[in-house]
Amino acid sequence: MDSNEQGLYRAAIQGDRDAFEMIIRSLSRNLFAIAYGILQNREEAEDVVQDTLVKAWKSRWRVREPEKFPAWISTIARHRARDLARRRRPEPLPHDFESADVAGPTETASAELDSEVQAALSQLPELHRTAVTLRYFEDLDYATIEQTLGVSNGALRGILGRALGVMRRRLKPTLASIA
Amino acid sequence: MPTIHEQIDELLAADLHGELSAAERDAFHTHLVDCADCRQAFQEEKNMHKLLNETLADKKADTGFEQRMVSRFRDRVPQRTGLVQLVMNLVRLRAVQLTAAAALLLSMVQMGRVLTGESAAPLTLREDATSNERSEFAKAPSSRTRDSEVLAYKTDGPGSGADIFGASKSTVAGIVAQNPAPPPAQDKAETETALPVTVYSADVLTKQASTAPKPKKAETKDQKTPAETTAESPEEPASTTAGLTANRKLVRNATAELEVVSFEETVQKITSFAAEEKGYVSTSSSEKQANGKLSGQVVVKVLPDNLDKFLLKLRGLGELKNQALTTEDVTKSYFDTESRLKNARLMEQRLIEILKTKSKDVADLLEVEKELGRVREEIETMQGELKFMDSQVNFATVTIQLSEKNMNVPAAFLLKERAQLALYAPEVEKTYNEIKALASPKVQITNAQINRDNTGRVSGYVYMLIAPEESEAIIARVKAMARVENFQVQTERVAQGGEGLGEDAKTERDKVVLNITISREEQEQALQQTTLRIRASEVNDKSKELRDLAEKQSGRIRSSSFSRDANGREYANVSLRVPMKNYNALMQSLNALGKVEDVAVRRDDRPDAQGNQADAPADITIQVYSQGNIVSEETGIMATLRRTIGQGAAALMWSARMIGVAVAFLAPWILAIVGFGWVLRRVSRARRARKQRAEEQDGLS
Repeated sequence: MDSNEQGLYRAAIQGDRDAFEMIIRSLSRNLFAIAYGILQNREEAEDVVQDTLVKAWKSRWRVREPEKFPAWISTIARHRARDLARRRRPEPLPHDFESADVAGPTETASAELDSEVQAALSQLPELHRTAVTLRYFEDLDYATIEQTLGVSNGALRGILGRALGVMRRRLKPTLASIA
Repeated sequence: MPTIHEQIDELLAADLHGELSAAERDAFHTHLVDCADCRQAFQEEKNMHKLLNETLADKKADTGFEQRMVSRFRDRVPQRTGLVQLVMNLVRLRAVQLTAAAALLLSMVQMGRVLTGESAAPLTLREDATSNERSEFAKAPSSRTRDSEVLAYKTDGPGSGADIFGASKSTVAGIVAQNPAPPPAQDKAETETALPVTVYSADVLTKQASTAPKPKKAETKDQKTPAETTAESPEEPASTTAGLTANRKLVRNATAELEVVSFEETVQKITSFAAEEKGYVSTSSSEKQANGKLSGQVVVKVLPDNLDKFLLKLRGLGELKNQALTTEDVTKSYFDTESRLKNARLMEQRLIEILKTKSKDVADLLEVEKELGRVREEIETMQGELKFMDSQVNFATVTIQLSEKNMNVPAAFLLKERAQLALYAPEVEKTYNEIKALASPKVQITNAQINRDNTGRVSGYVYMLIAPEESEAIIARVKAMARVENFQVQTERVAQGGEGLGEDAKTERDKVVLNITISREEQEQALQQTTLRIRASEVNDKSKELRDLAEKQSGRIRSSSFSRDANGREYANVSLRVPMKNYNALMQSLNALGKVEDVAVRRDDRPDAQGNQADAPADITIQVYSQGNIVSEETGIMATLRRTIGQGAAALMWSARMIGVAVAFLAPWILAIVGFGWVLRRVSRARRARKQRAEEQDGLS
């Protein structure tokens, strides 16, 4: 992390709104990826990001070390997303519905593929899902993802490898059909 | 190490994501060529990577996402006004929080200090302690684990370090001394573990020291030298002071005052004591006093070294009244005089030379002769001075004042009488003037004053001196003027010219001192106090009659009051004072007024009372009262009802008040307990939630 970014985080912690808005611009996409990874729903994920930003602003003074700011704000986002996911758990997962409902012969091939991918994704543990979304949404390098998710150095390779491996085995027939 | 085949998932993903190092990628691709399964997986993974890129591309945040987030954030968190924000930010700053905490702590300390009344003494004490520590540090630098010391040890190896450890008693030395000659490397490691505090700086310094070890060692030695000097310093001043006193010219003098039985005997003893202590009696004088006893002064010269011994011996001679020892330093004037004397001698020599060589002009000759005379005179004076000082210095002077004990028989006795007379007079001023009129050549009034205080009470006093032959008559006359409260005579026999009992000494009477104080009669306490009640039909008339009766018996009304209550009962309270002789007559006559009830009599017998008991005052307090209406308004059903309701209401009010008190007492406790319970519940709920969350996460990953 360069000193420019650190200065930005410090200024935001000290109550500089402009700095915080800059941070929103730089981090909110990542936050969205995290929230989507957990919720697999765009509207909900957007709400979570919104809440996360407000909450982060209100309790920004709790961050003692500016370089931990991105990890800290991601933690807030993950917690909020998880809370939301728990609240709606009693209902059946929407993408299951989708896949059951819309998987008809009238469905276009791309939509079918989409739901297959979503179903495969939903099989993964939450952390793995988040790693996948961060990687494929924002094309972040492994180090940045590790920093954002607060996992130890080098652990992401294992996580992503396992995640993609699981998905690959599940999607094997589909993949064969594409090829 | 796991093989490529085993961790194929990981490598596939990392390769597609461009996160493999060059070596890893080479190894991976080599393996792909060999392994058909992995090749197959690689193909699938590549397809899935593509699929994921395609499907997830339209799920990710759209381009306007950031702008949307910012504007919504602006809506939800409105900008605060400058001042509030400033204050909020200020409060959240760590430095400000710390400062506030420090200020709070400081003010609490200050408050505690004010409450306990403690001064700032502990602070200065602590300063002393640190300065002590510092001085200790300076004295024994080797006892502290100084960086330079550890360094000296390390750079020079255990061989040279041994002297330092030999000199020090520190813990470091103790630890290292257990291994007398370990190899340097191992030893270094040991010191580091034993002294984690010094390790860092020692390490840093080792680098410096390896370039220049010698100066460092010298420094260590330099540090030691001040310690040695401070250790020696206490002895040094002692020896110098001894040397100083040796060259000094000190004059020691002592004075003592003794009371002895026999003057002559004592002088003889003193002479022998002086001889024993290599001294002599310089002067002695004596004087016979009026009572035939001798007193006088003996001056003894003794060697200064023997002075203390001599003074001790003196104590055995009689009762030591006082003693003083003085030491005077005449060094400066002694040497001044000596050098002036030297100069004067030189001057004399010169003048003699002039006389010898230039003896031409008679006038000059005379002038020189005159000057020579003056110089010689000066020389003699100075020689005398020096001799005197020498004698003063060589011998200590002890001046002893002696007096024989006074044991004589008195020549005469003087009888001194002091009389005190306290009077109660009805009219203080009149009596005062009468007493003053007694003044005559034989009766001398020394002091007289009359006072009236703000409540109108008058008092006075007259002090007089009466010739002895007149005293009895005058005192009797004064006593007759008013009531005597108290009379006291003190007689003192004062022996003149000696102590003890003189068998044939005359006794003379001195003038009698008489102090008279006059107070108003009312202030006298009554000898007898009586209270009684008289039931009569017409209270007002009866009280008037009562006044007449009292006047007939020469009584005086002191106070009276009249009242009537709601039931028509009338009360008249009369307080009066009569002389004791008329008391019985008055009491008899009271029966005529009505039925006398509740008679209570209190009599204060004063054994020391000297006045006439018949004239002593007796106080009577009488309450004359009527029966009033037989039936009170406060009876009957209505009144009873009213009273009952009133009492009930009062009881109700009382219990309400008690409940209020109980609530006020209990409320803070209940509030505190409830608050504590609430916090506990919150804490446990939060903990449970966190645990649950952690479990879920564990379960998921």
